[in-house]
Amino acid sequence: MRFITTLFLALLSLGVMAEPTHRVFVTNEKSNDVSVIDAKSNRVIATIPVGKRPRGIGIAPDGSEVYVAVSGEDKIVVLDPKELKITREFGVGNDPETFAVNPKNGYIYISKEDDAKAEVYDPKTGALIAEIPVGLEPEGVAISPDGSKVIVTSESTNMLHVIAVPEHRVVANILVGARPRAATFNRDGTRAYASSEIGGEVVEVDMASHEIVHRQPLGSDKAKPKDVVLSKDEKLLYVAGGRLNKVMVLDADSLEIKKAIPVGKRVWGLALSRDGSRLYTTDGVSGTVSVIDTGKNEVIATIKVGKFPWGIAIDD
Amino acid sequence: MKRSILTLIPLLLGLYSLAPGAEPLIVKLAYVGEPGTSALAGVRQGLSEANVQGRFLGQEYRLEVLPPAAAEQDLSGEGGFAAVIAALPAPALLSLARGNPDLPVFNITAREDDLRDACLPNLLHVIPSERMLRDAEAQWRRKHPDSGARAHAWDEHFRKYAASQLNKRFREDQGIPMDDEAWAGWAAARMVADLVARRQSADPEGLLAALRGRIDFDGQKGVKMNFRPNGQLSQVIFLVENGRVVGEAPVRGVAGAAGLESLGKSECPAS
Repeated sequence: MRFITTLFLALLSLGVMAEPTHRVFVTNEKSNDVSVIDAKSNRVIATIPVGKRPRGIGIAPDGSEVYVAVSGEDKIVVLDPKELKITREFGVGNDPETFAVNPKNGYIYISKEDDAKAEVYDPKTGALIAEIPVGLEPEGVAISPDGSKVIVTSESTNMLHVIAVPEHRVVANILVGARPRAATFNRDGTRAYASSEIGGEVVEVDMASHEIVHRQPLGSDKAKPKDVVLSKDEKLLYVAGGRLNKVMVLDADSLEIKKAIPVGKRVWGLALSRDGSRLYTTDGVSGTVSVIDTGKNEVIATIKVGKFPWGIAIDD
Repeated sequence: MKRSILTLIPLLLGLYSLAPGAEPLIVKLAYVGEPGTSALAGVRQGLSEANVQGRFLGQEYRLEVLPPAAAEQDLSGEGGFAAVIAALPAPALLSLARGNPDLPVFNITAREDDLRDACLPNLLHVIPSERMLRDAEAQWRRKHPDSGARAHAWDEHFRKYAASQLNKRFREDQGIPMDDEAWAGWAAARMVADLVARRQSADPEGLLAALRGRIDFDGQKGVKMNFRPNGQLSQVIFLVENGRVVGEAPVRGVAGAAGLESLGKSECPAS
């Protein structure tokens, strides 16, 4: 009996990680819903109406919940990735757009474009934990894998703001090219990468000195880069090229452009599978998700989703 | 209680200044023109936004509002201005720019083509020229012959490329809609701030050289903007009809490979 209790408790403690569903969740900004793709068959298995203008999307560290920023209704909607149902929602005020989920404390870090601040919410309770003043039109949010640092980009004041966790205050400001959109960290948090939409470039930042170590223009005025994602081995950086209609593949050390992968029109969002073998894109104007095999860096499937797919997250 | 806090302030400032570069760089800008205009509201908006950026990067921007008569004064040297933003008729503007050759002078209201042809090295035109507006309308009418749309540098109804954010905060902060001249005033202040932050310096001559180089300014019209050899800022022009933005120039399929340069002249006239 005691053995069974111990086993039960052990299972319970293990049980914090939900069994992954291997589903890809895509917000469709103009059809007001979330497309759910089965990653094994590359088929849309469900479309969940969530409210007006869904954009940012993220998954709880334990995989139990999917969070969707519903910009037009000033709220975060919470989905159950197994049941594919809305379980609850909470208000976050004023046009929520992009956010990231802290892998350690589970909080949502969200940029509030019209308020020049970042806000921190506990998604379990919907409580506002902290407000952090940043520059104008904050947009991209990235969190270091150890949860200790957050980068928020301010689009109209061209900065990457580095925020310390748990203090929740800005510890450094890095001036980059015009209209910084998105950022990402490497695994040990020593490097960060950010895209500038109007500047048409990507920078690599040393996170100890907060200095830009490399800067790579993408070579075309059509390049309005958005999401940036590192390959699993951290040797390559994938950049969503916007109107280039391509995902650019850069050397993660030198930022030298290695390849351009044609995808759908107006590519914005990127997400990498946990095993690193697949990269998923949202192609806004085409209304598709492109699936890239990262072994060959080629598109192996194109999946029709809703209107103007924007954000993308994988439960795997 | 109040006194004890006040006595603490110098101490705190002292500690603060121990960090290198912690003292903000004071950057003074002059506005020369009539008060109470949308142009001045634009400059004020740009300045307050520059100060948002400056709070993080260590600059503090201050504005001095001078009457049109100041166009005849020497504003360099003792004034300590980094740049002058002018809302003046063409003759006064030329005299201001000629009288202060080491100061960057931004033209935010005068549209005359002759001013661009004057090609003064320190005179930078943020507001589009007549010719740019005419070219924009001509391109638009080639595709839409019956349209009565008029060309504008800005419109309060424009939403794309984060224009809606700028329109929203301008209206909230200044209490009026953003028009062409307000946009130009805002843009002049913001591009100064971008370059001062990048260079960590506000010396007018260095600033002028930087403005004449590649600035890739984000004027919230979806493209990066730079000054042409004749001092005109390249930019997207909006076509506005019945209070709606119906299109943008360069017009796709008409402008061709010249892109932004299909609107107005770029080069100085051969002397």
